[in-house]
Amino acid sequence: MAQEKADAVLIDDHTLDLHELATACAVTPTWVVEHVEAGLLACRSSGGEMRFASAHLVRARRLVTTERCFDANQEMAALVADLLEEVEQLRRQLQVSTKQPRG
Amino acid sequence: MEFKEYYKTLGVGQTASADEIKKAYRGLARKYHPDVSKEADASARMAEVNEAYAVLSDPEKRAAFDTLAQRRAAGQDFQPPPGWDTGFDFSNAGSPAGDDGDFSEFFNTLFSRAARARRGGGDGGARTQMRGGDHHARISIELADAYHGASRSLSLREARLDDSGHVVNAERVLDVQIPKGVKEGQSIRLRGQGSPGLNGGPAGDLYLEIEFEPDARYRIEGRDVTQTVPVAPWEAALGASIEVPTPSGRVEVNVPKGSNNGRRLRLKGRGIPGDPAGDLYLELELALPPANNEKASELYKTMAREFPSFNPREQMGA
Repeated sequence: MAQEKADAVLIDDHTLDLHELATACAVTPTWVVEHVEAGLLACRSSGGEMRFASAHLVRARRLVTTERCFDANQEMAALVADLLEEVEQLRRQLQVSTKQPRG
Repeated sequence: MEFKEYYKTLGVGQTASADEIKKAYRGLARKYHPDVSKEADASARMAEVNEAYAVLSDPEKRAAFDTLAQRRAAGQDFQPPPGWDTGFDFSNAGSPAGDDGDFSEFFNTLFSRAARARRGGGDGGARTQMRGGDHHARISIELADAYHGASRSLSLREARLDDSGHVVNAERVLDVQIPKGVKEGQSIRLRGQGSPGLNGGPAGDLYLEIEFEPDARYRIEGRDVTQTVPVAPWEAALGASIEVPTPSGRVEVNVPKGSNNGRRLRLKGRGIPGDPAGDLYLELELALPPANNEKASELYKTMAREFPSFNPREQMGA
């Protein structure tokens, strides 16, 4: 089987624009703008343009999944995303402070 | 091709109502949610559940699926009979999770956009160009890969249209370069490696979220890495120069005189590379030689005699 070589770029070095993030999350750009303007999704601002890094992509996909899977409204989905991020952060702290092996 | 038992996947009967299907789906979506599930194969199970729901929650797809299920011969390799979808229109959106890149050959052959295009319906009927969907996956790397960069081979399965317009499932291997300095949780993007486009449209992209393989030697936070280093009691008490294997290679480290168990030594800039690079913390852990012969036992007894006021439980009030 032929092996293709793929050029990989780190999203944090080459951030996504509004349309790229929307496409990556299978939503409309309007959905993204609404969530940014409501303060539920952060972004980097560059020359008045919204740019999105890895953490924004992960959060946007969580919001989409929660809204679609559970018919959750924006705020409820954001609360779920907040809690998941908090759990991740606490797990990292626990792992660092207690010598708990990863995994 | 394996026939997918979508009702069984969701744990509902064939006469289940739309509400019952939704309720079952939500229960399983909670159980296999990749962010919280303890199940080892949660992501794969979630994809199966999403696939089943994408079909059974759509009245047209469900009706077509039911028709197929009635006509199939049990125990045989499944091939859809010609004209199986006549009278059905799968024009609405795909999976509830937003993309169907992880769905099965069965779904891709029958219900995907490419399949609809082949049949001349749905999105591709008017021969309009459409971009392929983006795919998302996680990729596990070792900590050393973040220090030095690495190459990983990924096997991807995808549905493509052949020259005669038939959906074929192909497998290809992708050689992915993991950039040096990558952190857990970051995503890398591979342009054009998602689903192929329709009617000459561009392919989608593949996004890979980085996670580190479990390694009991290291604890990682951002670009900072903590590593436990065993030291002998005399090295900790008297100070010593020791050689430590680290993710970036062997390093000579001075253990300060009078170090206690758990003391952390910071090696600036020896964490995961970046701008700025992270730090490497060496956490000292006292390793006691075993008193497994007469001479070793006597040495411990000598210490006990020579340190009469030493109380290791002083802070406990003992």
